Amino acid sequence: VTRLTDLPPAQALRLAELECPDFETRPWTTGPALSQRRVAIVSSAGLVVRGEDPFRGRDPDYRAIPGSTKPEDLLISHISINFDRTGFQEDWNVVFPLDRLNELAAEGTIGSVAETHYSFMGATDPVQMEPFARDLAGRLRQGKVDAVILPPV
Amino acid sequence: VSALGHYLEEEGIATVAISLIRPQTENSKPPRALWVPFELGRPFGPPNLPAFQKQVVLAALRLFERESGPVIIDDFPVDDPRAQPDAAWRPPPVPAAAAAGPAETLAARLENEILLLQGSHQRWVAQHRRTTVGLSGLSVGECARYVADWLRGRAPPSPREGFSAPLMLRFAVDDVKAYCLEAAAAGAAKPSSRQLGDWFWNETAAGAAIHALRAVLQASEDERLRLIVSNFMVPAARVRAGTSPANQRARMQS
Repeated sequence: VTRLTDLPPAQALRLAELECPDFETRPWTTGPALSQRRVAIVSSAGLVVRGEDPFRGRDPDYRAIPGSTKPEDLLISHISINFDRTGFQEDWNVVFPLDRLNELAAEGTIGSVAETHYSFMGATDPVQMEPFARDLAGRLRQGKVDAVILPPV
Repeated sequence: VSALGHYLEEEGIATVAISLIRPQTENSKPPRALWVPFELGRPFGPPNLPAFQKQVVLAALRLFERESGPVIIDDFPVDDPRAQPDAAWRPPPVPAAAAAGPAETLAARLENEILLLQGSHQRWVAQHRRTTVGLSGLSVGECARYVADWLRGRAPPSPREGFSAPLMLRFAVDDVKAYCLEAAAAGAAKPSSRQLGDWFWNETAAGAAIHALRAVLQASEDERLRLIVSNFMVPAARVRAGTSPANQRARMQS
């Protein structure tokens, strides 16, 4: 499978029209210059650290990925089989760009990189994820994170 | 990820989403998103091209400096240079896999193939210092045996406490796929995901076994097992005509 247009039409349509809650608000949070920001990754790839329980089906919770995690210890347990995994197999930065963030911090482009990153399982109903996402916001604040990059898979 | 962005932003955490499916992002209107023209599964583009990946990360992070939101959707302009096939790639030799045939034969071929690919997989691990085999918690040989036993009609019990047998079947299939695809990509060539997928699904005993397992277990009385084999083993683009379940579930992609 490559792009959306390569999928069978029925499935491409389902993905394109994937339901998302119809939010009444359009929140917008500003912050300091990029060079002052502390950045965390919050993935929806169903990432888990080796040895921990993989996501089962559409679990709504999230998993923590310490910044000290080694590339050989990060696994994808996303339920979908309709996306490429060979890129991630070769290089975790394809999905989880921690090495790139560390480089950007070292050269001063961003302020710093969070100590902990997180992952949800993106096929889960967003409404069920909401309490966990709000809980995660508290943990991000505690970690002084003020910029989150949200990669899907 | 658009909904996650909404919730976090409401809580006062600024977010930028990577979008692989632009229409989905347009519908869900996240605070900030960068659409990328890459295949599903590669939100930051090509593996092992750090300079390119950094451009993508930075293009996303630069959206924090814009003040024109909420709802910024920007486009990353450059295609993935690794999406092209590599004519120099040669898959590891495996015996021709008969698409049809007795389940016992296919099961035995699957187990044998895992042994045949061992050398290639060891080269992969030496080259990349990692493997993504491991979801099931079993060795890949145990995974192959577990999948093969399902194919033989034995409906083996779950080998892992707290995980149902159908779920373990899914993880064992995931691990077999990861092992074969890693073995196939060992070496200097840079095969595209399509080349690797074509080989796995059309040439290998593992691919044939997973196709066969899906066809057989779709008739199971266990609804959960039916759901898992129908939707979470063979990619939609690889399902063979006549085997598509009537009730393909949506929402298979984040």
